[in-house]
Amino acid sequence: MTAELPTILLIPTGIGCDQGGYAGDALPVARLLAAASGCLITHPNVMNGASLYWSDARIQYVEGWSLDAFARGALALRPQRRQRLGLLLDAAIEPELALRQRQVFEAAGATLGLELGPLISTDAPLGVSLRLAESGSSWGSLERPDALLRAGERLRQAGATAIAVVARFPEDSSAEALQAYRRGSGVDALAGAEALISHLLGRHLGLPCAHAPALAPLAPMGELDPRAAAEELGYTFLASVLVGLSRAPDLLPPGQGPLPGDISIGQVGAVVAPAGALGGETLLSCAARGIPLIAVQSNHCLLQVGAEQLGLTVLSAPNYTAAAGLVLALREGLAPRALLRPLPPLEYLSG
Amino acid sequence: MNRPEAQPLRLVPLELELSFAASDWRQDPVGLCRGALAAHGEPLRWAITAAEVRPGHQQWLRLEAVLLVP
Repeated sequence: MTAELPTILLIPTGIGCDQGGYAGDALPVARLLAAASGCLITHPNVMNGASLYWSDARIQYVEGWSLDAFARGALALRPQRRQRLGLLLDAAIEPELALRQRQVFEAAGATLGLELGPLISTDAPLGVSLRLAESGSSWGSLERPDALLRAGERLRQAGATAIAVVARFPEDSSAEALQAYRRGSGVDALAGAEALISHLLGRHLGLPCAHAPALAPLAPMGELDPRAAAEELGYTFLASVLVGLSRAPDLLPPGQGPLPGDISIGQVGAVVAPAGALGGETLLSCAARGIPLIAVQSNHCLLQVGAEQLGLTVLSAPNYTAAAGLVLALREGLAPRALLRPLPPLEYLSG
Repeated sequence: MNRPEAQPLRLVPLELELSFAASDWRQDPVGLCRGALAAHGEPLRWAITAAEVRPGHQQWLRLEAVLLVP
């Protein structure tokens, strides 16, 4: 087999993607692209299926702030066999719900063999709030970022090398947006605030970080969409986060290394993203570097920020199966245009 | 990497509309966006949520962001 082609898979969170906009429902896509590329770099929104997860040594789990920095060339990745996990709990979580989180943490050690480090509760409630922006994308905020960062620092001082955060999220089980999400339409209202929490902590600590919300269990719903079902199998969303972080790569600032096996942005050979969501930092950094962009037409979302609107050149794929074929072609050194019929005409330069 | 925060931080949402010459945009799209956001704080998370190429080779964008502000 030809050498691996490090490939970035992006499915932005909180914009209602048909694939990846729910509960880890882009995991099959990640598995396919990992097989096609031999090395897939992707973010927690793709991999986290609440109680469901998939671990693959070919997949590098990198949260969004660090992924942006990686694409700018400000970080490199050093794959790891394991990380020592720290658990950071929001002081706003009720005792019974906090107990459930701690038990998942212990179970990840006892049942999966993950290396458990310290755990801590914040010294003040984090005060998570949710918000929809003008575009309809989910965002949010945090009243006490200082409490989050203090707790993260203590975990790192105590030896954690990767940190899972669980924050208490506001909920209204009767809310129209939640009911629409459970039926398979609309936007994950929690996703934007989740991303902010992990971005903030990752930026501050330079460690792999990811977030799971703490929510009270919902009453069963008969017409639950399968893409949202993974979030209704248990009492927490934490298991997939712990598994993802357990083999997340170390994040190396410039000047460290490189060692054989490290991954830098200069090695990345393709980026795969929904065709209407090309306006994120990682993707634009890759575009400026001339890395081939594969725009997947079938993964609709509420944005229409595509190649035409941004003046970008992309390889268009009707779906993720075709995108995997393009990644494989690039990996093999095939020109994607050679696979098209009719063949595109040659470009003659005027003398 | 450690970032001691001398002052308490706040998270501030921001929406911006921007326009650039298309040639500048193609050269350094991230630098242009981050530079515009940096006038208001440190960009923690941002994305372009609407865009179009306008007459006169202008690239128009709407950005949504959350910034860190001391």
